[in-house]
Amino acid sequence: MKLTLKIWRQDNAKAKGKLVTYKLSDLSADMSFLEMLDMLNEELAIKGERTVEFDHDCREGICGQCSLVVNGQAHGPEQHYTTCQTHLRSFSDGDTLTIEPFRANSFPVIRDLKVDRTSMDHIIQAGGYISSFTGIAPEANTVPIHHDISESAFDSAACIGCGACVATCKNSSAALFLSAKVAHLAKLPQGKVERAERVVFMVNAHDDEGFGSCTNTGACAMVCPQEVQLIDITRMNYEYNRSLTTVEG
Amino acid sequence: MAFKKGLFKTSVGRKNLMAITGLFIIFFLVIHLIGNLILIIPDTFFPIEFWGGVESAHDMYNAYSHFLVHFWPITLVAWVLYAAIAVHVIDALLITLNNNKAKGEKYQVTDNSTSSWISRNMGILGSIIGIFIVIHMAQFWLKYKVLGTEPDLYQLVVATFKQEWVVILYEIGIIALGFHLVHGIESAHRSLGVYSKNAMHVIKYIALCFALVMTVLYAIIPIIIYFK
Repeated sequence: MKLTLKIWRQDNAKAKGKLVTYKLSDLSADMSFLEMLDMLNEELAIKGERTVEFDHDCREGICGQCSLVVNGQAHGPEQHYTTCQTHLRSFSDGDTLTIEPFRANSFPVIRDLKVDRTSMDHIIQAGGYISSFTGIAPEANTVPIHHDISESAFDSAACIGCGACVATCKNSSAALFLSAKVAHLAKLPQGKVERAERVVFMVNAHDDEGFGSCTNTGACAMVCPQEVQLIDITRMNYEYNRSLTTVEG
Repeated sequence: MAFKKGLFKTSVGRKNLMAITGLFIIFFLVIHLIGNLILIIPDTFFPIEFWGGVESAHDMYNAYSHFLVHFWPITLVAWVLYAAIAVHVIDALLITLNNNKAKGEKYQVTDNSTSSWISRNMGILGSIIGIFIVIHMAQFWLKYKVLGTEPDLYQLVVATFKQEWVVILYEIGIIALGFHLVHGIESAHRSLGVYSKNAMHVIKYIALCFALVMTVLYAIIPIIIYFK
């Protein structure tokens, strides 16, 4: 199949970027989206041009490294898929694809399609930890957890921190990411020690990193590759308001 | 220690403030609607013995407005309402300014299929409602104060709604309000942290029905008066 790619090219964070058009032919519908970019880069390398830079790592939809906005949709047209798990069979022969980096002020472009998502790490550092005993690992299942709660906590913990929620949000809010982290730990007994202060520290960090305020449009949950749900944001708001009455000092 | 930023200065806190003020304004809207429905009670319903033999909608509406002006707790609640509207508007502007600052470079291609038009355009709907409130206040609240002691408010309302442009303007304002309520009610409950999938599911439908009922009832008042 043949595709026309309009790819965002930008030399560095300060340079002005623009869309550059590339035409690819002899593509297979079974190729993954990133394999297509690999193929383009091979062609560019042979021609002696600078290759297109993009983030990727595991290529099996679990590391959260790949990003890309394809035709205005974070991670491409398939709902709840990462870019690396998207294949060319999702497109038709002769399509034109506009490929842009995740955009938000807190995600500065490093080069081309690569963005710096350190801001999300700072949110994790602010409260994504628990207190536990040191020494040898305790026997598993010593703390009984209701099946539904452990499943629910796992649904939140499934967040891979890719940033698609931020890229899609009209306010560039990281509320879905932030709330998945808050909810995951708040639901489990191991997370109860820091429960009240965690949400406040993490919300403060989220705001300090320059992310916007959630207006509950729900766009984030529609693109999330791990299907983290909007109810997690509600849980975070609940935890925040609960902490108003419980934080010491 | 943890709250160094202050209660309503974080992204979550500001949304709390939007939700609380919004829900209070909704409470007022219900009361306001009940009062205004007096305007369209048909003549065949009178006299109503239960309320001391009121003769007409005309008398009843003027008695109602007299009560509102001279009962001090109502005046108190009115000032709370003005404050709530002011806070709702200022908070919305602060949130919007902050969100615009958070946005990066614009996408060359956008896809809006992941969210509803209403949820993305609460600011535009709110602005229409804001302009409507200013005109509405100028037409009645201001005139009532300027006309002095005990003006015939019923006559003022009827005379105002006999003008075509006023009816059209009110319909636009009311429809904008209806759309604003659909997302506003759901969003307010999410912001306040109603952590229950079942409850949020129910609230979503209640919001839709409530917005529809409010829109229809508010919308028929100017139309009925116009054709009376």
